Amino acid sequence: MAGKASATPATYSPSPATRKGKPTIYKDGDRDWVRPDGRGFQQCRPAFFRTGAVNAASGSAYAEIGNTQVIVSVFGPRESKKAMMYSDVGRLNCNVSCTTFSTPIRGQGSDHKEYSSMLHKALEGAIILESFPKTTVDVFALVLESGGSDLPVIISCASLALADAGIMMYDLVASVSMSSLGSDLVIDPISEEESYQDGSLIISCMPSRYEVTQLTITGEWSTNKINEAMQVCLDACGKLGKIMRSCLKEATSATSE
Amino acid sequence: MTGLSVGEKLFIQGGIAQDLRTDGRKRLTYRPIYVETGVIPQANGSARVRLGGTDVIASVKAEIGRPSPMQPDKGKVAIYVSCSPTAAPMFEGRGDEELSAELSIALQRCLLGGKSGAGAGIDLSSLVVVEGKVCWDLYIDGLVVSSDGNLLDALGAAVKAALSNTGIPRVQVAADTTGEDQPEVDISDEEFLQFDTSNLPVIVTLTKVGRHYIVDATSEEESQMSSAVSISINRRGHTCGLSKRGGAGLDPSVILDMISVAKHVSEQLMNKLDSEISAAEAIEDDS
Repeated sequence: MAGKASATPATYSPSPATRKGKPTIYKDGDRDWVRPDGRGFQQCRPAFFRTGAVNAASGSAYAEIGNTQVIVSVFGPRESKKAMMYSDVGRLNCNVSCTTFSTPIRGQGSDHKEYSSMLHKALEGAIILESFPKTTVDVFALVLESGGSDLPVIISCASLALADAGIMMYDLVASVSMSSLGSDLVIDPISEEESYQDGSLIISCMPSRYEVTQLTITGEWSTNKINEAMQVCLDACGKLGKIMRSCLKEATSATSE
Repeated sequence: MTGLSVGEKLFIQGGIAQDLRTDGRKRLTYRPIYVETGVIPQANGSARVRLGGTDVIASVKAEIGRPSPMQPDKGKVAIYVSCSPTAAPMFEGRGDEELSAELSIALQRCLLGGKSGAGAGIDLSSLVVVEGKVCWDLYIDGLVVSSDGNLLDALGAAVKAALSNTGIPRVQVAADTTGEDQPEVDISDEEFLQFDTSNLPVIVTLTKVGRHYIVDATSEEESQMSSAVSISINRRGHTCGLSKRGGAGLDPSVILDMISVAKHVSEQLMNKLDSEISAAEAIEDDS
């Protein structure tokens, strides 16, 4: 708009110089650092869940927690492949994939092959496999945007999708992760915080039964830290479980109207 | 392995409840551990660990490489486990993919620590030759030759023994290269630097059968487990990695109790392992 250089206010004015090179968010010994999105150390991002995202699936759910978006479809119980042996309990098959556009750099997110087996372990303790013998339930998770703390979001979303599909479970599975950065513990880290972390703790639990289905700790932790982190995470899982339950109730009340 | 009859299952569960397992051990006793080092002459370091019927081999090879641009002052370590069909016919071809991936990731988690490198058992900055340009890439490969339960603990011990047997060749860097060119490196044939393994953790797997935990489960006992927790503990008593595998949910207080039991057991295991490794090294030096 070089011609309209005079008094009329510019229709578009670029915002004041945003720093292109962000300094590291955390330096050793820095006492008063603040999380990039301004949350408290023990504050999780707001969570949004919706079931029924995919019509073709037996059950599905979409979860958006901060910048992390995940969609999960559940197919089944359906006939197990003929090659598999007879089994008098049901089988669970999990698969997690990331879209190529889920990370800031294209194609970088696909090195998490272990997420599929970790999702399987988190869910198998909650599903009543005896209720669908000889058949398989397939859980397919797709990470649309990876904004940090991906696996916990995948696990929570998958258990909602299983509930939406009507698979019998002992309880919903809620999952949160915690990062240790120096001497601080922060819950629900974003990807920037995760890249500086000294250690991480991912816990999946069934809130009503107060049972842990999966716990994974990386990095060096003293027992006190583990204790403290577990208490905070279990509390967060309880609250997340309530949010998931209210989402399911909304879905059923919407369909009954 | 053939299936177990109902009577055998009850025998295993009842024995564990009474602190007397089928092979006469107590709940928190390991099977005898045999360590041999230097079993693979072409590798920079290697070890073979036998834990009862479980037999694993670990080898360490070091190659010159470039450090990653995001961490120019650290070398790289890749850990990979594979299961040989000699252990079980189902491991032929791609049958071992799932188990190998699980074991590889569990070992990586225990030995390499968090993303920033803190708490790692292996000091990656000791692998750097010229910062930003030349570093050592360590390839640690584990092979399961025979499987009778407790693979992760045996692999952890084998990796520890292999790393203490590892000699990294001395490297001379040509001093006159500057700029973007790869410096000329001259690798000496006589091995020098012994790897520092004092920080390496040991892995203790606690298997819950009924209401009790056992250490070092055989594959029969593993078939009766409700869940298992593998904890890696270093010399300072800190947890370097933890993963809960398998089935049923556990009360959080049970997990914390398992961590303290594992700490107690890990001291004995670490001492036993250290003495076995130094004995094995002494035999190798003599021969």
